[in-house]
Amino acid sequence: MSPSFGRGAMTNSWSDLKNAEVFLIAGSNCAENHPIAMKWINRAKENGAKIIVVDPRFTRTASKADIFAQIRPGTDIAYLGAIINYIIEQKLYDQKYVLNYTNALLKVSKDYKSEAGLFSGYDAKTRKYGTASWGYQLGPDQKPLKAESIEDPDSVFSKLKSHYSRYTFDTAEKISGIPAAKIKEIAEVFCKGKPASILYALGMTQHTTGVQGIRAYAIIQLLLGNIGKAGGGINALRGEPNVQGSTDMANLVSNLPGYLPHPINTDKTLRDYLVRNGSFFEKHIVAQLKAWFGENATKDNDYGFSYLPKTNPAVNATMVKLFEMMNKGQFKLLFNVGSNSLVSIPDRQLVRSALTKLDMLVVSDLFEIETAQFWREPGVNPADIKTEVIMFPAAFVYEKAGSMSNSSRWIQWKDAALEPLGESLPDLDMLDHLFKKIRKLYAGSTDVKDAPILKARWDYGEHTSALKVLQELSGYDETTGKLLPTIGDYLKAPIGTASTGCWIYAGVTGNGNLAARRNNADPSGLGLFKDWSFAWPGNVRILYNRASCDELGQPVDAKRKLIWWDEAAKVWAGNDGGDLVDKTKGPDTPEGKLSFRMNPEGVGRLFAATYMSGLPAEAPVDGLPAIGIRPAGLCVDGPLPEFYEPTESPTTNILHPEVSISPCALVVSTQIGKSDKFPHVLTTYGVVEHFCAGGITRNIPWLNEIMPEPFAEISKNLAAKIKVVEGDMVEVSSARGKITVRALVTDRLQSYKVNGKDTETIGMPWSWGFASLSPGPSTNEITIAALDPGAGTPEYKVCLVDIRRAN
Amino acid sequence: MDVSRRGFFKLSGLSIAALAAGLGFDPAVAKAKGYALKLEGTKKIPSICHFCSGGCGMLLYVKEGKLIHLEGDPDHPTNEGTLCPKAASLLSVANSPDRVTKPRRRAPGADKWEDITWEEALDIVAKKTKEVRDASWQAADQIANAKTGLPESLAVNRVEGIAFLGSAEVDNEESYLIKKFCQLIGTPYNEHQARI
Repeated sequence: MSPSFGRGAMTNSWSDLKNAEVFLIAGSNCAENHPIAMKWINRAKENGAKIIVVDPRFTRTASKADIFAQIRPGTDIAYLGAIINYIIEQKLYDQKYVLNYTNALLKVSKDYKSEAGLFSGYDAKTRKYGTASWGYQLGPDQKPLKAESIEDPDSVFSKLKSHYSRYTFDTAEKISGIPAAKIKEIAEVFCKGKPASILYALGMTQHTTGVQGIRAYAIIQLLLGNIGKAGGGINALRGEPNVQGSTDMANLVSNLPGYLPHPINTDKTLRDYLVRNGSFFEKHIVAQLKAWFGENATKDNDYGFSYLPKTNPAVNATMVKLFEMMNKGQFKLLFNVGSNSLVSIPDRQLVRSALTKLDMLVVSDLFEIETAQFWREPGVNPADIKTEVIMFPAAFVYEKAGSMSNSSRWIQWKDAALEPLGESLPDLDMLDHLFKKIRKLYAGSTDVKDAPILKARWDYGEHTSALKVLQELSGYDETTGKLLPTIGDYLKAPIGTASTGCWIYAGVTGNGNLAARRNNADPSGLGLFKDWSFAWPGNVRILYNRASCDELGQPVDAKRKLIWWDEAAKVWAGNDGGDLVDKTKGPDTPEGKLSFRMNPEGVGRLFAATYMSGLPAEAPVDGLPAIGIRPAGLCVDGPLPEFYEPTESPTTNILHPEVSISPCALVVSTQIGKSDKFPHVLTTYGVVEHFCAGGITRNIPWLNEIMPEPFAEISKNLAAKIKVVEGDMVEVSSARGKITVRALVTDRLQSYKVNGKDTETIGMPWSWGFASLSPGPSTNEITIAALDPGAGTPEYKVCLVDIRRAN
Repeated sequence: MDVSRRGFFKLSGLSIAALAAGLGFDPAVAKAKGYALKLEGTKKIPSICHFCSGGCGMLLYVKEGKLIHLEGDPDHPTNEGTLCPKAASLLSVANSPDRVTKPRRRAPGADKWEDITWEEALDIVAKKTKEVRDASWQAADQIANAKTGLPESLAVNRVEGIAFLGSAEVDNEESYLIKKFCQLIGTPYNEHQARI
């Protein structure tokens, strides 16, 4: 979503779902995995909303659908491309929205090409794209040239039109297995609803084309004018209680907190960093350096920029690749807090092997998860494993104060309700104690490498205080030592005078702890609840809500008014906080026009073009490289979504057979299967009773009683073919391994045709491992480690398997 | 007498008054009284569910330091008092006999854990962090300059031998300190399950 809208977050909120008139739920079984979503979807349904569900299985969510389509896993872009084509051909797009709030009119570089499944700039040797030809035609002022009409052959809109003209309903049927008439029906019903909402979860992201699938959603929603509106949006149902927050805090190699780009080795100075990333980030990275190094971060020492480690951009260290590096012996010490990779990483032999290469593994968790005891997995001889393991007993969520950010971006505070059990401690305390001990070990060192540890600001009290940490995120006026009241005050402060550990959380504790607010009034009736907790950024509940107004700043939907320009008071007013640069800048000013202010173009991006805003027309006189304002977010595998077969596929790509699978996918698994030996498609999923890798839920007796073991869900046709009945044990094998589980024979999966060939999908939940109160085989024994080249997300949702009765 | 779920709260005081007045025979009141006794003397603390990203509100009932009951928070705008089966089961995590409650160490090659103190565990990890950090410190990357093609040495101040997997299951403040900790000791190799 970030390359389309400027932020990678769910655009709307749970309670906003009630405002929708139609839903496309594809890539999410929210009835089981996000049950709270159904409460609000059902409320919309009671008001007449239509529900479309596209899924490889007839799920519990599908049971509520008006239209259900069974899809072959991994082929979403084929049918979504056909819907984009239909919207354009039938002129069903929102003309005004497309002209004013998207880059439809901007002229694409003459060097841009898309042929036979490849975009211009591809290097077959590195399997990467050079992205220069994906830019705009720029005027003398370095701004993109604007076409007179969308019919201009150079316009983004024309590129979109020609790209998707190949995606017919018939082609989409052959690829996806969804009948052409059904795809047309989905397109018709979805386009009729205003507003229309799209919901997805891991069913869309866990593919080698995951990012591009979401880009296809973004294109549809921008064409139909559904972003920035109550009841619209793209609702990414995030998987874990604080996955929004942990991403905001950048527990990811590519970022620093608040989505600041991580410095790389060519960023010798802060200035180099800004040349690469734009001046937009200057205030925020300096504020972060102030939060981390306090008075030791000054203008004279480049605010301590040299203290930060710099990555090597040639090295991809995303989660699965990190285990690959570990397996090659790079890491001697691994900290593992609150995750269970031995169950959750695809083709998990890699994890099993990698952990043995460590000198030390440090685990912090509530229960003795599989990863903590990898050295005694059945079949492993502990004496052979030289890794020392330290396990810290972690406190449970209710035994510690702190905040979590839900999918709606609500930062919600909770007080500690209980004392930690036994000797367990919150991870906050563990980190605090550990850092202080390490700092002591380095006391007195004058080695330049130890400066970041010794010069750090690190004071969270004698008894580690979560509130003090949240205040560091909220931000201080460094000249007075007082908390900055609001994000507005932070933005106004001159560079170097303010600190915040994560600028998008600025103001959360500025006027008391706003994350703890419990006023559930909702005067607009739109489910905004703007006095309940605090939503980043600046308490905006519906992102990009400027796009809910026309060019005069008045709401286009009279029933769902979010914000409006109050001409008398000369200010943006509304039921929601405005997602605006400046609330006093009217709709006729350059700032007041920006519907997608986080994008360098200020509009939504149908075409993910390469672009840096704010570059001067002439090179600076000092000879140094110019600093622009902000660069566009790119997709490394192309400016428009293209359909590619999954890495392991039962067929060949009929759109462009020469480039059948993603030309950029990162394949980590060494064993890749073919359909002659492994004819069926395996897709993995979750069940309501278990959660992710099961580290918690497999230790809860009553959940184990209702969902005791994993299984393989197969169609009646397949069951007849392999001669099993429900309850029989079956062996499911891939090129990487095999596991034996019970067969579940259902109508929820049906045989289907792909390119004329009969095909079967097998479904398996994946939450089990060898430990806990309820052990069971791990499905990730057989899944494939093939990654989306941009996001690094593995293709858990598709691999090839065989199945037979286990005797 | 209709006793709604939310009515219990209001009823708890009333039912005891009713009992005192000798009116203990109405079955609805008797039911309410039973419920009130379970929650009698508890402290009600609002909190948040710890499974999916719904962020549903919960009410925790704590007596003598023990969680004795939890339910959906009727005032929370997202879930309005409802909970899914997973959420409702969190009670058993707070009181689970299977929790790890002491720091432990598994020595190289050993086939079992030994309990150790926090002080020992922290010392072992702190010393190992320093040892690996010092041994795997990379002051500079040697690369070919993108423009000139000439070899170039770029300061990177990076630790190569330590990786840190954080979590989408811990609080914001903890996620933040994990990142800050990593950056201060010099490792950029910080990932977590949001990636997958």
